[in-house]
Amino acid sequence: MESVRPPIKRLTRSSGDPEGPTRSRTSTSTGISRRKHWYRTAALAAAAALVAAGCASSTGSTSKGGSATTKSGGTLTFALDEDVAGFNTLLEGDNEFVLTEILDQTLPRVYEVQPNLKPALNTEVVTSATVTNSNPQTIVYQINPKAVWSDGTPINADDFIYNWQAQSGLPQFKDVGGKAYLPVGTSGYNQIKSVTGSNGGKTVTVVFGKPYGDWQALWSQNTPLIPAHIAQKVGFDAGFQNFGPAVQVSGGPYEIQSYTKGEDLVEVRNPHYWGPQGSLSKLVFRFILADSQQPPAVQNGEVNMVNPVLASIPYLDSLKSIPNFTVTVQPSLEFQHMDFNESNPYLAMAGIRHAIAYGTNRPQMISRIVSPLTTSIGPLENRVFMPTEGGYSDTSGGYGAFDPTKAKQLLQQAGMTMGSDGYFHPNFGPQKGQDFTLSISTTSGVEVRSEIEQLFQANMKAVGIKINIQNYAANTLFGTIGPKGEFDIIEFAWVISPFKSGQQSIYCSYTNSANCQNNWDHYADPKVDSLFAQALTTVDPTQAASLFNQADAQMWTDMPTFPLFQAPDLFGWSSSYANIVPNTSNVGIPWNANQWGAK
Amino acid sequence: MWAYLLRRLAAGIIVLLVLSFGVFLMVALSGDPLAQLRANPQTSPATIAAAAQQLHLNQPLIERYWGWLDGLLLHGTFGTSFTGQPVGAQIAQRLSVTLKLVIPAVVLSVLLGVVVGVISAVRQYKPVDHLSTGLAYLFFSTPVFVLGLLLKDFLAVDVNKAAGHTILYTVGESTPGINGTWNVFVNEAQHAVLPVLTLTLITYATWSRFQRAAMLDVLNADYIRLARAKGLSPRRVLFVHALRNALIPVITVVAIDFAALIGGALVTEIVFSWYGMGQYLYNGLTGAESPDVYAVQGWLVVAATAVILFNILADLLYGLLDPRVRYA
Repeated sequence: MESVRPPIKRLTRSSGDPEGPTRSRTSTSTGISRRKHWYRTAALAAAAALVAAGCASSTGSTSKGGSATTKSGGTLTFALDEDVAGFNTLLEGDNEFVLTEILDQTLPRVYEVQPNLKPALNTEVVTSATVTNSNPQTIVYQINPKAVWSDGTPINADDFIYNWQAQSGLPQFKDVGGKAYLPVGTSGYNQIKSVTGSNGGKTVTVVFGKPYGDWQALWSQNTPLIPAHIAQKVGFDAGFQNFGPAVQVSGGPYEIQSYTKGEDLVEVRNPHYWGPQGSLSKLVFRFILADSQQPPAVQNGEVNMVNPVLASIPYLDSLKSIPNFTVTVQPSLEFQHMDFNESNPYLAMAGIRHAIAYGTNRPQMISRIVSPLTTSIGPLENRVFMPTEGGYSDTSGGYGAFDPTKAKQLLQQAGMTMGSDGYFHPNFGPQKGQDFTLSISTTSGVEVRSEIEQLFQANMKAVGIKINIQNYAANTLFGTIGPKGEFDIIEFAWVISPFKSGQQSIYCSYTNSANCQNNWDHYADPKVDSLFAQALTTVDPTQAASLFNQADAQMWTDMPTFPLFQAPDLFGWSSSYANIVPNTSNVGIPWNANQWGAK
Repeated sequence: MWAYLLRRLAAGIIVLLVLSFGVFLMVALSGDPLAQLRANPQTSPATIAAAAQQLHLNQPLIERYWGWLDGLLLHGTFGTSFTGQPVGAQIAQRLSVTLKLVIPAVVLSVLLGVVVGVISAVRQYKPVDHLSTGLAYLFFSTPVFVLGLLLKDFLAVDVNKAAGHTILYTVGESTPGINGTWNVFVNEAQHAVLPVLTLTLITYATWSRFQRAAMLDVLNADYIRLARAKGLSPRRVLFVHALRNALIPVITVVAIDFAALIGGALVTEIVFSWYGMGQYLYNGLTGAESPDVYAVQGWLVVAATAVILFNILADLLYGLLDPRVRYA
């Protein structure tokens, strides 16, 4: 009987984070630990660059990336490896990557991050976004006069106001029944002082209480506008939990037609959409929770597109063997890293942290874990920017090099003596005279992370450090072990964003517990605090990137955390469709689904 | 008979209560449903506190259990899952999916298991017995996910290629957008072929071995020799005297396994993307807001009730098959 057979292990992904980086809970058997969500925050914007001159207008339209001629009609079926928990992407618990993908074409966004990871104004929703004042920071949005929800209600300032209030975290704003709103995040919205409408509701003026460089992330990406007139009736927290009319109201090219739990979700063209109609008549999101079951479905013609969490080598090989199926592996905005807990008396010493970094063979990890999928990824030399982002530069200052000899020298300089058993013995502290031993922890049952740990353990043995592996369930690791600092070294993945303000809470001084709650490492450096603070209020993206990189360079010197490598992201689709352009940001591949079409 | 039934039901209810309390404690203590929220660097403490209140996580465990039990006994509700949806409605949907998979598989498995088991016993050590034994061990020892993948790769894809259109589907219960009762029925049947076949093959394999063993015992019993000696036809000896008695141990196994399958055929569901009871439990234990104690409790009530009822049913069937069985 099946009941006595061992179940297939399935790795679930963490829920998303709209604003900041997110800890990824999962990983592939061969090395892909994958994004979840993000983020809105940060100051890139071409518009912001003009603020220095007094005021600026951002009117560049979104480039969807596809231009091939397509036939009208047809269906594309996209395999998703997770079902949705609910349909309010702004709500804690619902904010998952798959929901963002599903809502890409049904909810309006002010800005959209392009495949080049730069935000562009979505002029089908907002014809302009103008920075009219820098002190106080003031943005004026002109809503497209034709923009309407699919039930005929105009999209106007009321929607901006409601969405701000619900995500502001301010106690005076209440959900229906006087209950508190439960937004997944409040970043940026909590810095807004007022949102007002004029010009019949088609002009929106946003005034910030304190400057917010990442203003383009607001009402964008995975925190799109939800219809205020619906949410006010059904409730923000509970009104979108079940599929029904409230969920079907659309402000995008497609609208949700049907949803069958655990099975599929179908979108059809929104007849009330004011912009260009989608080419395909139907988008089907098919929930195939076991990634390994997706290639047979592709082969059988039941699925036309995949973007798995678990892109294993057998998975890749299976897809490559299918004729007329395009497969591409691209570096994502996620990276694996190790954090050092500086409350450990040994790890409190920068020299020992550097010794561990010098002793870690990152090229070996990459060749074993990542290279079978793509050779375009090397050791990561920056925590804030990924190599695929414009601001990236190697800020490591040589601290990322693999140099076991130097590692041993640093351990000796730290006051350790090599023992006859091949391990160093500290001459001080609680392990005085014993083998120098540290533990490493990560999420249990994730093969790639286990492989990282085993390689790390072997690397450390070679330099004279004994490593014990102590893993935990994801909920325990991220709910207790990490936040309470009950680890020596912890390994997991961060999913980051083109909007960088979300990373501040990881690296700013832990003593500021209110704002730096994600710093589990007991790390504190006023210089890093200052550089982040400057960067986040700098409107010139080049200057801001320079400041972020200076902060990162300082963190290489401090070494509170050691970045390992960027994770790859696999996309595959049937070659009979045109205009499919992968997007490694948190909107996912359906970001331009309204341009997809049959060749 | 009725007194016996009532006693069994009362005992079952007590078992269910004890079980529900134990499971509630274990699941509730096994993790923090808000762990992901806490790990989100931007989620405010106010949101976390409000979520904890909404999910009753700020109440003592006993109070939470009592609240759940009170809802079940006095209002007939299973509570609300941590994703904000009523557990009762969710369970009903999941159960209907599981039954669509399990009922045909169990019916086919019983037929196949009994027929193969009887033939193997009657033709003991003959080629047909060796063949059926070999196949039974093969299917029994093949992991479900391997069997499912093999059927997909070497049956569905090839059949569809040969036919030039899709006859056998590999994922889901149906194709969205199909209209018309007959078309929907056919489409669902096409989707059900592979998962039902998978479940049937691994289930019949076990049951056929039980049937063979039981049949061999009976065929070697004195009363069968006597029946033959009295000149009864081989057919009558086999079907009326032997099979009837040989079904009793098989019924026990079928009843227990059927009840267990109602709790979900997790691997088959995952392999073929059917969202039934198995996946419901799995999500309750490992999903985004897990452990979801109310979802798990809802599953437990249904699964445990099925086990209790099917055991009682099996006992009743013993009486029908063997008049010597008395319920005192």
